[in-house]
Amino acid sequence: MSTFTYMWRLICYRPGWYITNAFIWTIIYLMPIFPGLITKAFFDSLTIDSAAAYSTWGLIALLIGAAFARSAMVLIGFITDVNFRFRMGMLLRRNLLEHILKEPGARAIPCSPGEAISYFRDDVDQSEEAVSWSVDVFGMTCFAAVSCFILIRIDAQMTLLVFLPLVIVVVVAQLATTRLQKYRSDSRESTAKVTGAISEMFGSVQAIQVAGAEKRVMSRFRQLNDNRRKTMLKDKLMTEVLDSIFSNSVNLGTGLILLLAGQKMRGGEFTVGDFSLFVYYLTFVTQFISNFGKFLTYFKQMTVALLRLTGILQGAPAQVLTAHNRLYLKGDIEDGAAKQEPQAIDKLEQLDAVGLTYTYPETGRGIASINISLKRGSFTVITGPIGSGKTTLVRTLLGLLPQTSGIVRWNGQEVPDPGSFFAPPRSAYTAQVPRLYSDTLRENILLGATDQKGQLARALHTAVLEDDLGHLQNGLDTVIGPRGVKLSGGQAQRTAAARMLVRDSELYVFDDLSSALDVETEQKLWSRLFRERGDATCLVVSHRKTALAQADHIIVMRDGEVEAEGTAEELLAASDTFRQLWHGEEN
Amino acid sequence: MSKKNKMKFSQYRMMLSRYLLPQKKALAGLALLLFSSIGLQLVNPQIIRYFIDTAQSDKTLQPLYYAAALFIGFSLIQQLVSVIATYVSENLAWRATNQLRGDLAEHCLRLDMSFHKSNTSGSIIERVDGDVNALANFFSSFIIHLAGNLLLMIGIILLLFRENIWIGLGMLLFVVFAMIVIQWIRKFAVPVWAKWRQINAEFYGYIGEHLEGTEDTRANGATGFVMNRFYSLLRRMLPLRRKAFLGFSAMWITTIIVFALGNAMAFAISASLWKAGAISIGTVYLIFYYTELLAKPIEKIRTQIEDLQKADASLLRIFELFDTAPKIADGPGAKLPEGPLSVELNEVTFGYDEFPTLQELNLQVKPGEVLGLLGRTGSGKTTLARLMLRFYDPQQGSIRLNGTDIRECKLAELRSRVALVTQNIEILQGTIRDNLTLYDESISDSDIVAVLRELGLRNWYDTLPDGLDTPLASGGASLSAGEAQLLAFARVFLTNPGLVILDEASSRLDPLTEFRMEQAITKLLSSRSCIIIAHRLATVQRADQIVILEQGRIIESGARVKLAADPSSTFSRMLAAGLEEVLA
Repeated sequence: MSTFTYMWRLICYRPGWYITNAFIWTIIYLMPIFPGLITKAFFDSLTIDSAAAYSTWGLIALLIGAAFARSAMVLIGFITDVNFRFRMGMLLRRNLLEHILKEPGARAIPCSPGEAISYFRDDVDQSEEAVSWSVDVFGMTCFAAVSCFILIRIDAQMTLLVFLPLVIVVVVAQLATTRLQKYRSDSRESTAKVTGAISEMFGSVQAIQVAGAEKRVMSRFRQLNDNRRKTMLKDKLMTEVLDSIFSNSVNLGTGLILLLAGQKMRGGEFTVGDFSLFVYYLTFVTQFISNFGKFLTYFKQMTVALLRLTGILQGAPAQVLTAHNRLYLKGDIEDGAAKQEPQAIDKLEQLDAVGLTYTYPETGRGIASINISLKRGSFTVITGPIGSGKTTLVRTLLGLLPQTSGIVRWNGQEVPDPGSFFAPPRSAYTAQVPRLYSDTLRENILLGATDQKGQLARALHTAVLEDDLGHLQNGLDTVIGPRGVKLSGGQAQRTAAARMLVRDSELYVFDDLSSALDVETEQKLWSRLFRERGDATCLVVSHRKTALAQADHIIVMRDGEVEAEGTAEELLAASDTFRQLWHGEEN
Repeated sequence: MSKKNKMKFSQYRMMLSRYLLPQKKALAGLALLLFSSIGLQLVNPQIIRYFIDTAQSDKTLQPLYYAAALFIGFSLIQQLVSVIATYVSENLAWRATNQLRGDLAEHCLRLDMSFHKSNTSGSIIERVDGDVNALANFFSSFIIHLAGNLLLMIGIILLLFRENIWIGLGMLLFVVFAMIVIQWIRKFAVPVWAKWRQINAEFYGYIGEHLEGTEDTRANGATGFVMNRFYSLLRRMLPLRRKAFLGFSAMWITTIIVFALGNAMAFAISASLWKAGAISIGTVYLIFYYTELLAKPIEKIRTQIEDLQKADASLLRIFELFDTAPKIADGPGAKLPEGPLSVELNEVTFGYDEFPTLQELNLQVKPGEVLGLLGRTGSGKTTLARLMLRFYDPQQGSIRLNGTDIRECKLAELRSRVALVTQNIEILQGTIRDNLTLYDESISDSDIVAVLRELGLRNWYDTLPDGLDTPLASGGASLSAGEAQLLAFARVFLTNPGLVILDEASSRLDPLTEFRMEQAITKLLSSRSCIIIAHRLATVQRADQIVILEQGRIIESGARVKLAADPSSTFSRMLAAGLEEVLA
């Protein structure tokens, strides 16, 4: 998609708002024509006898009237602008978020969440700015045309002689903004390094203090700061040179007018009023050129933003960004947004994966040609040494990583898109390092699901969370997560387990559920799980004996492949790796 | 109130004298540049006046060309001056703020865990970078710009007084009126912007959290829920944004009207003076020109005051941060000997709040001995480890290493002799080397590789595209949880501690990897003392002594072999339960 199409599609999202906005702003930009003419009339009324028809008070009234009229238009203009901008920017953010939530969950974004935020904020802002400025450019062009027409009628020769060189100076300066962009990106980068360093320093403060590395870390930090000063200075200097060219070109133009006007004033064909009008419009015309340059810069930035935003889509067409979707600013949100209450689903009888393969693009490691098969009601454990691909396997199976090859079958039927297929009520999942959101404990568990038939209470019990509730100030309504009460590692894991269990599902998948639990809590959790899961199928990543001993089937992974499988007894007899995992020692 | 203002004033003075005054020369140069720029701005309208009056008269045309050339020349010089002034003041500001930023970061880095627990690294960025940046303008330009623009304004008004007392008076009144109205309108505009910024922060906080949790959201079918929350946030945002924009437009509208009124007054006064024959037409234009010129200093002074108010809040937070003294005072500098350290806890009581986490703890580890510390979650094991490194100091009792109270040692000395490996691994964004050495350049690559090999990370190391220079993402995204834990171990192997504390250091490792590490750990612990904190029994098999904690008290302690043999001991009961686990 070209930048122009991108812009066009954004404009077309709410064409009504856009056209109204463009209309109002054109008027706002045209209005300074009047104060210029009034000023001219004022000077003429003083110097030319025939023009004395205008009374000074009449002109003053006109001047104030023009200011009030312009103010009223500005007020309306801001309202139309904010309404259009908000909708357009939020459409982009909405589409971006929705797309990311549709991507394979473990690889939803090709960068860190911190970086991705800057896409949501800065790149969308830049797109918004460019589209919004297109309106201003149109209005200012109208002003330039009208004012040039007026000036040429007064003195064509002088208009050309004054404005032409100025236009050239300003355009040349504008071209230098390419340079400026390079400096700008350098200074951004060095700033990012400084904030990155702060975040690292204080994110790992314990490691630094434990290692007594404060001095070394600080000298590195001061170095980064100084680099930033240097790049910032270059950036500022360049900006200032450009700014001063723009703001002083009015003075230069005035000087040029003076140079030419002497003779004509003496001859009487150029009045003081004309002079004042020239100088007055000069200000606005140079402003127009510099704003036009600003628009070009925004447009260029929009090209970059589009490129970056397309990058974060990971291969999806850029049209996704500008798809015209509702924002639910009015009406009932629940109506359309939470559409899929999925139709009655096939009960799970058998789940098969054949030739499941995933390779991490960065390291080339991953899993290769895994075959697994789960029967209804079975309890399967995946185990293996660290880095053997256990987590990768469950993620690939559930479509949380995009499989390189392989087939997944649900009751013999091939699953075309595991990512959307494996969700409640078919399956629910607890990640190895579960994420909690800044919301109440209740919402963190339910995530929008409704608590029917005491499911929540049951899930809390099975996940051994009831005792912890008493210690939280507001029980289930305590706000937890990054901006709330921080739960301990074990509590977070059990909350995630409850989040999974509250959704009645055919298949429960949990990755290393008990790594942060003490033995007693862990045993409670497993025993409740066995008792209360009913005939749901379970797939568990663990190397805990409690889990291994209860398993109907164990899959031993090693170096991204299935090394052995069977029950604990069989594997103890047959598999070296399993024996080592079981005993923690080499027999 | 006045006392508060006084304090604020002295804070500003302190800031200026500490960070800005050392750069006297640059300051003087800057002042000179600004004053000459003001002079040039004031002179130009006078040239125009001369020009118009001469053009209207019958004198020769020659001086008109000189006047025009002079006007252009002055404009160019003024342009040059303003560029140089910006450069000098920016440089000044960056040097000063960098110094401040460095001092602040260093101060924070020295603060203890109770500070870092309650301040996320995000909020520290906001303070060390955001607040300091807000002060940048205060340093670079505040005094000079404020003084400069005030002078420009006063200069214009004085020059107008010189022309005619009425026009001078009129413009003086106008300036006062304009400043008051603009300040007054600001009162309405500023709070709505603050509200908008606040909801914006909430919005991006929401997006950020959900970008981190895509796996959980997706696999638990909560996409619709996340989108609904997004929509309801939008609904709250639109009215606030509208208000914020209206506030902004109010500022603009005020400026339009105020300056139209100013022009109107200039017109009225100069027209009547002209009609009375008191001034020339050139002077009428001069008055008009100066009135237009007044807009600039009024705007500038307004933004400067705005910046000062922003800086005010930032300055307050910065001082607050500087005033946060580390609860842990550095010791006078007793030395700890080389070799294994003995540990002695005497009646140690400690609590994070009024409830004690550890109570009257007595404990001894002989040099070279291994102590296994057992207990349920929340029994105070990790707290004990934190006390050993003085992340906190006990409220009562003392901790001695080789007979020296650890409060007598320099923190750097203590932490170089006591190593801690925890269950939470902090991976820095940087190369693997940086992560292992924490920028200590005295550690050679061959030592690092040797340690990685010992820890069984050889295969992993061989797959790295750039060896030790391979970058690791922040938070360790490119490592599996177990690998990250091994790297944390490797950090300790590269130092030479006399006491090693392993706090659940292997909880993310599988038994096989754990076993592989045994040899490496044996080597690490030879001729070192060690405290192993665990909730798994297998982990404490190498312990000479066992201590079991419950709710901050020791409920059992003794030699491991003895406790295991005593069927009535808690330890042997735990062993039996562990055995059951195997047999189940």
